[in-house]
Amino acid sequence: MIRLIAAFIRRDFLSEKSYRLSFALGALATLANLAVFYYIGSLFGGQLAPELEPFGTDYFTYVFTALAFFGYIGTGAGSYAGRLRQEQTQGTLEAALSTPLGILPLLAAMSAWNFLFATFELLVYALAGAVVFGIRFPAANWPAALLVFALSAACFAALGIISACFVMLFKRGNPLAWVLNNFEGLLGGVYFPVAALPWWLLAVSNLLPVTYAVRAFQLALNRGAGPAEMKGDLLALAAFNLVLLPAAVWLFGLSVRRSRRTGTLGEY
Amino acid sequence: MKLEVRGLVKIFPAPPFSGGAPLRALAGASLEAGTGVTGVGGANGSGKTTLFKTLAGVLEADGGEIRAGGEPADSARLRELAAYCPPNPRSFYFRLSAAENLRFFGALAGLTAAQALDRALHLADRLKLSRPDLERRFDRLSEGTMQKVSLIRAFSRRPPILLLDEPFHGLDGLACTGLLELIAEVSRATTVLLTSHSRELMASAAHRSLRLDAGRIAGERA
Repeated sequence: MIRLIAAFIRRDFLSEKSYRLSFALGALATLANLAVFYYIGSLFGGQLAPELEPFGTDYFTYVFTALAFFGYIGTGAGSYAGRLRQEQTQGTLEAALSTPLGILPLLAAMSAWNFLFATFELLVYALAGAVVFGIRFPAANWPAALLVFALSAACFAALGIISACFVMLFKRGNPLAWVLNNFEGLLGGVYFPVAALPWWLLAVSNLLPVTYAVRAFQLALNRGAGPAEMKGDLLALAAFNLVLLPAAVWLFGLSVRRSRRTGTLGEY
Repeated sequence: MKLEVRGLVKIFPAPPFSGGAPLRALAGASLEAGTGVTGVGGANGSGKTTLFKTLAGVLEADGGEIRAGGEPADSARLRELAAYCPPNPRSFYFRLSAAENLRFFGALAGLTAAQALDRALHLADRLKLSRPDLERRFDRLSEGTMQKVSLIRAFSRRPPILLLDEPFHGLDGLACTGLLELIAEVSRATTVLLTSHSRELMASAAHRSLRLDAGRIAGERA
């Protein structure tokens, strides 16, 4: 399995590196995002809004943390469908799936490069947050934050795999990606706490895993909350994982099988 | 390894709401093949590629039975047993070198990087693929050279069943000779099925050949 993941990472790294300008721009985009954070910080400084009180932090620290966190876990949501679509259009999907490669190893390896690059971005954000913006988390409960991180990343990867099923079956037109791209940020508390939403949007927000993920991560990082204090959010994330992970693997296997039956593996 | 196929059916459904009719690509194809080379001939659209893709486990059959080594073989088992060389040699990563492509596809088939490279070098020699071409980016290769890389990908798995769909396509004379020799050598221990529109090459490579017509085996020539 490790050899397979390494092979995918090597392939994607070499391929990305061959597009030199795009590779450089991708790295620069990480720095450009930091400039956005900087101006948000200049504008709002250390202002406290009532909705931020439960988190015990100012707006800048809140949005910086949430965006860096969401940027990483969002990788899972977007990269599976993106990678799969790329394989379809370059005509390599059918060749890759002509081998004994199983569904689970494929899913484990397919987005490994994206997660690796997202980790690099996260480290840059963390470094810039500490050095440039002086953000500190003196009360942080790091083990609890790590637990939230792992649960959230798994949950979003599952959503990403389900999203990739649409690509496998319909090639173009992906309603799940549309929802994830357009509503997760708005309704999940990434840019502002969900408490600022009207009650009817709050009800929708409570159906999304991102809401629990962002809130729990903020609480662990800014308030030093432990598992007991975040029990509700952690249970919600665990429940999402319990349902979404097996469902995602099963649905992906089903969609590959369906494509083999209809003879559309090689289509794009 | 003995390959037995009974009443194989493959139907491609029409795209939803297209108003088209489903395409019956295989309509009960039956054949037996053992160690050695079996040629499969037939006109364009007779079902050769569909037959090969189904035997390789790339496609799932809609009916019939496939047995390999006396055991029923589903598509997952066939993907373990068979390597398929497609008629179009462009199913590679164009921004990677031929060697890197072979290393990657080798990993998917369970080969280590060293094994993949070793086998690639050996087979490149047999197919008259130069070392610089092996190191060249795939999109800079000629169509014939791409075909050599595609053949190496299939041969390097050393599978018990080898399915070669138009393997001579685009190859120069030297490479054709090299490929014929390689097929003859490998077929001593492997069940090789191949298609070709060249009667001469088919006759040189295969000890027997079958003719496919409208998705069924319509005849055999020893």
